[in-house]
This record gives sequence, C-alpha cells and structure tokens, in this order.
Amino acid sequence: MVTEAVTTMDASGLKAIGAGLAVGLTGIASALAEKDIGSAAIGAMAENESLFGKGLILTVIPETIVIFGLVVALLIK
Amino acid sequence: MLDLKQMNRAVIVGHKSIFEETVDALHKASLFQIEDFNEDDSGLRIGRPFENVDDVSKKLIKIRSIASLLGVKDTETKKQDKKSLLASLDGTLEKLDAELDIKAGQKSKLEAELKELDSLKKELLPFNNIPIDLDLYRGYEHLAVFAGIVKEDVESAVSRITSSYDIAYDAKEGTLVLFVASEKSDEVADLLAGFGFRELRVPAESGVPSQLLSGLVSKEAGLLKQIGSIDAEMESLKDKYSDFILASNELLSVEAQKAEAPLRVATSESTFIIDGWVPEADYAELERVVKAATNGRAFVSKQEMTKDDEKIVPIEYNNSKVTSPFQEIMDLYARPMYKELDPTALIFISFPLFYGMILGDIGYALILLAMAVGIKKAISSDAIKPLMNILIYCQISTLIFGVLYGEFLGFSLASLHTEHETVAGLIPGFETINLFASPVGDEMITFPVHRTHLVMTMIIATALVGFIHINIGYLLGFINENRKHGMSAAIFEKGSWFVIELGLIIAILGYAAVLPSVATIAGVVVFLIGFVMLLKGEGIKGPIELPSLLSNSLSYTRIIAVGLSSIYIASTVNLIAFEMIWEPGTPMGGATIGAIIVFLLGHGLNTVLSIIAPGLHSLRLQYVEFFGKFYEGGGRKYDPFGFIRKYTEE
Repeated sequence: MVTEAVTTMDASGLKAIGAGLAVGLTGIASALAEKDIGSAAIGAMAENESLFGKGLILTVIPETIVIFGLVVALLIK
Repeated sequence: MLDLKQMNRAVIVGHKSIFEETVDALHKASLFQIEDFNEDDSGLRIGRPFENVDDVSKKLIKIRSIASLLGVKDTETKKQDKKSLLASLDGTLEKLDAELDIKAGQKSKLEAELKELDSLKKELLPFNNIPIDLDLYRGYEHLAVFAGIVKEDVESAVSRITSSYDIAYDAKEGTLVLFVASEKSDEVADLLAGFGFRELRVPAESGVPSQLLSGLVSKEAGLLKQIGSIDAEMESLKDKYSDFILASNELLSVEAQKAEAPLRVATSESTFIIDGWVPEADYAELERVVKAATNGRAFVSKQEMTKDDEKIVPIEYNNSKVTSPFQEIMDLYARPMYKELDPTALIFISFPLFYGMILGDIGYALILLAMAVGIKKAISSDAIKPLMNILIYCQISTLIFGVLYGEFLGFSLASLHTEHETVAGLIPGFETINLFASPVGDEMITFPVHRTHLVMTMIIATALVGFIHINIGYLLGFINENRKHGMSAAIFEKGSWFVIELGLIIAILGYAAVLPSVATIAGVVVFLIGFVMLLKGEGIKGPIELPSLLSNSLSYTRIIAVGLSSIYIASTVNLIAFEMIWEPGTPMGGATIGAIIVFLLGHGLNTVLSIIAPGLHSLRLQYVEFFGKFYEGGGRKYDPFGFIRKYTEE
C-alpha cells in the first residue's frame, strides 16, 4: 500500500532560507571580487603609499553587492 | 569656505652678493615654495651650493651616524639656543666622536674575540667527553690518527683488521678517535668510510678538551661582562648627549638645506632668480622680509599665472580650525586642484552624519568618545591628533543618533509594544511614542526610532538621503565645470543630470497618478531632453553612467543595513550573556561571571567593529558616490622652503 505523506512548507522558513541565500551568495560574490582588487591594491600601495585612498575605494566598490544582498534579505523578512 | 588659498607666482631677483642673505630670510620666513629650475637654452645656469656645504654635510653625516649608533630617538626636549649650540658644536662633536671611536673600537675588538672563542668552542665540543690531551693527536711518524664522527661503535670491526690500535668513542656525540699503525691506515680508512665517517678538524690547542672548554666558558663570561660595561658607558653617553645630538642634527639639516638651495635656483654670471609660490595673503610679508634682509637690494615681483601654471600650483587648504581635521580625509584621496572646490567643509558635515546614522548607539558613542579623548591627551603626535578629532566629531553625531534611536549597547532604552509582543526597554517606564504612520511598508514612525521595526521606511529614507547627497555632488560638479570649462560645458555635463532627474520624477508622479496622466508624457520628454544634453556633454560615457543614478542612491541603504548588522551583533551578545548564560534575577554564581565576560568580550569586539565598519562605509560613500560626481584632485602639497624647528630656536 502506498501512503502519501502530506507536508506543508512553512512560509516563514522559506523566507529565512531566501534571506540567508541573499546574504550568503552576495557575500561570496563580494569576497571574490574584492580579493583580486584588494591584493592588487596592496601591491600598488607597496610601490607608492599615496595610493591608499584610491586603493581603498577600488577595493570597497564590490561591497555594494553584499549590501544589496543584505537589503534584499531585510525586505524578504 | 569651499575655496583653497589663493596663490601667487613670485620671482625674487638680486645680485649674487646678497644670495645667502636672501635664502636665509626665505628659510626663516617659511612662506615661499621654491619652484625647481631646470636648465634650458635661456643661458641661465643652476646655481652652485654655498661654500659651507662640504663642511656642513660632513658634520651632518657624522652626527647622523652617531645618532644611529647610539640609537637616539626623537623625544620632546627643551629647545636650545642656536647661537650657543653653534659655538659649542664643533668641539662637542669632535669630543663625542673621539670618545665613541674608542668605545666602538674596544667593543668591536671584544666582539671579534668573542666570535673566535665561539668558533673554538664549537670545534672543541665534539671532543668534550674524550679525555685525551689534544697534543697527543699529532706529531707521529708511524701512527695514523682518525678523529671524526661515526654512526656506531667500530671497535669490533677495527679489531678484525689489526690488534694494535687505541680507540676512544663517545657514543653520545658519536665522536671517534682512533690510533692505528700507519701501514694499516688505508684499510682502516676504507672500513670507516663504510660506517659513514666524517672527519673533524682537531683544534690547534693543547690540553684536555673538557678543561679547555670550561676555561673558554669563563673567558666568554668575562668578555660579555666587558661588552656590557662598554654598552652601559655608551648608554650614559647617549643620555648625556642625546639633546645635543637632536639639536645639532636639526641645526645642521637646516644649514644643509640652505646651502643646497642654489641647486634649485636659476643664476647668471652675477645674479640669481628664485622662482616660486607664495599664498596671496602672505605676499606683502614676503616682500617685507626679503627687503629687510637685503636692505632693499633684492626685488620681489608677482607673475601672471598662466594656464599651465594652474596645473602645478601648490595647494594649501583654507579651512577653519574646526573643519581642518577632515583635510586628512581629503589628503587620503587626493588634494584638490587649484581651480576646484575644496569639499572639506562638506565632508565635515556628511562624514560624521553618515557615521552617526550607521552606528547610532549611546553606549558605543560614550566608549569611543572616552577612548578618542584619552588617546588625544596621551599622544601628542601630529599624525594622530586629526584622526582623533574626526573620531570625536563622529561620536558626537553617534550620540545624537543614539538618543534618536534610543539604543544603548544593543539594548533598547524604551519599551515597545507591537501586535505580537512587548519588548521591554532598559529604562523602566520609558514608553515608545507613536508619531505618525510611515507612507511605506505599513510601519509606524515612533520616538525613539526602532530601526529594527522600521526597515522599509529606513531603506527608503536612506536612499533619499543618498539622492540628496549625490545631487549636492552634481551641484559642486556644475560649479567646478563652470570654473574650468565655462557655463555651457557645465550645463551639458552636470546640469543635464538635473534635467534627467526632473523628467524621471515628473514621469513617476504622473504614472503613480499623483499628477495628471499627461505628466507621464511630459516627464518622458523632459527626460529625453536631459538624455540628449548628457550625450552631448559626456559623450557615450554619459548614458553608460545613467544607471548609476539608481545604484548610487541604493548604495546609501548601507547606512541602515550596516547599522542593523551592528545592532544584531550587540543584541546577540546581550542575548547570550543575559538570557542564555545567566538571567538577571536568578541567583548569582559562576554563570554571572561567565555572562559578564561574554558581555565584555562581545562588546569589546563590536566596539572595534564600530570604528571600522561605519567609518569605512561612511568614507566610501564620500569617496565613491559623492566625489565621483565632481571631484578630480591631484594637486600637490604646498611645502614652503623652511623647517619646523623642534629642538632649536633662533
């Protein structure tokens, strides 16, 4: 005899998963982008310390990705 | 307020006989930045350094080598009078140098001896457990001596080759000393090679190694003691002379700087021409100083500033004392160009504002405020002070927003009643007051503002703040562009953005039926006009940057996003400490201590994060979103010919 288990998905659980994915994946994306820029920026700074400002700016540009992820997560909540 | 100091290009001309006096006066006044002269076909030559340059630089090298030998560090001392220092300089320097020479010579001799002892010790060490006089190792006609390291005892193997041998083996070190008859030496050598024999040099000493070694150790201790006493003597020399060394280093550096000044100046057979920059406000003073020093025989004149000059003008900020710490933030990015606006005064408002909006917590504000004030008091370094001032401004803003948000170390000060629950506040009886309904997200604006319950509203609000900030940037860009390339360039390049924004706003309001529906079409038309203007102003780059209007505004939502993450870290620490580990009201015990430790560590960590995260994000909003709209930078620092004296005075 075949029985069919009836399960319902909890909407708030799905929301939490979605929010987690939004922050986690965008965090990884930011990290991937920043690691290359950051190491290049440090290399440039080793040559010329006055590049700190520009290096910092270039490094934090991909930060926006995870901020958007965080905002989306907050909106899902 | 937003302008830099006006600069003048000035030229000082005079006869070579008053060259030194002029340079001296300029150096003392420290107003004039010399523009280096490059030789061209004008017939003018680069000047020759003043006569005393050799003498001064020789002494300077001496004093610097002494300073590095003694390890003299910059400290604050009483300023010394230049004249009396100059009078005693040669004699004292000579004396100090001679004294140090002797000391350094003695020390290096002792150190060489110590090194020799050390290498002898290393040679002797393997023979330590073999009680044979070292004299007995050499001088035989019919005996072969093998001294070295082997892996295992070889006595039984040797006894198979010959019966006449003498062997000593130290199993611990693996040292073997073997005496055999010369005719058997080849055979024995082959045998030993099989055991991995490695020959050791026998030290050219006489006596039993263990006794020699103990003698060496006591000798070494004696040498170290002597070196120590020389070090102590040098230390006392350092204490005695460090003021003199610092002061004379400064004095000689100043003299060297002056003596080498002619290398930056154009000269002819009998005249000199010093070209350079002076702030407009100081021009009269420069003229007076030069006249006074040369009895009016040198001439100062103002030059017309050309277009090329504008690219190389040294830049000096013109900010009030209150806003000047934020020049550090400007310098970190780049100094403004001469014709640009200096946004320091705006950063003074917006940087602490965003920082405070992000952090907004009374507890952290007070902790960091105390820290910043303490560091500022404790360290008198010129590099640290402006940073601490910035931190203090930021904490004041954080304190204000902390009161507005009603937050203290992640706790809410006021109690909040929502549909599902009641969150108790830290201050009993302090109830949240409902002010009015937010237009978005079904939320209620309250006092204090509970950020965690107003996410939608705060996201929209911060994006709006960003929109305003960006537009201030476009406005500054308009002014900059107008100064640099004229009104029409300004209208097409920066003004077009305002037209585009206006079009979008009208269209959206029309679409949302706030305005009559015809507004939608009007808005689209206005948008298109702006678009074409932008295309004309910026070329293809303009339309590519168009989406940045949205992404930049949304970027300001980080103000709420980073703020919330800070709150959540703080309230999680509180939750772990005061609910999970120990709940207030329950009996105190070991758990109480645990809770307090977790509380302190967690908030300590979050305090550090509270400098980094809001600081970096606020900085980024200035640099990327704000500066991107108007700022170019790349000016060079105004660095007048002169010296900031720390240890001497005229």
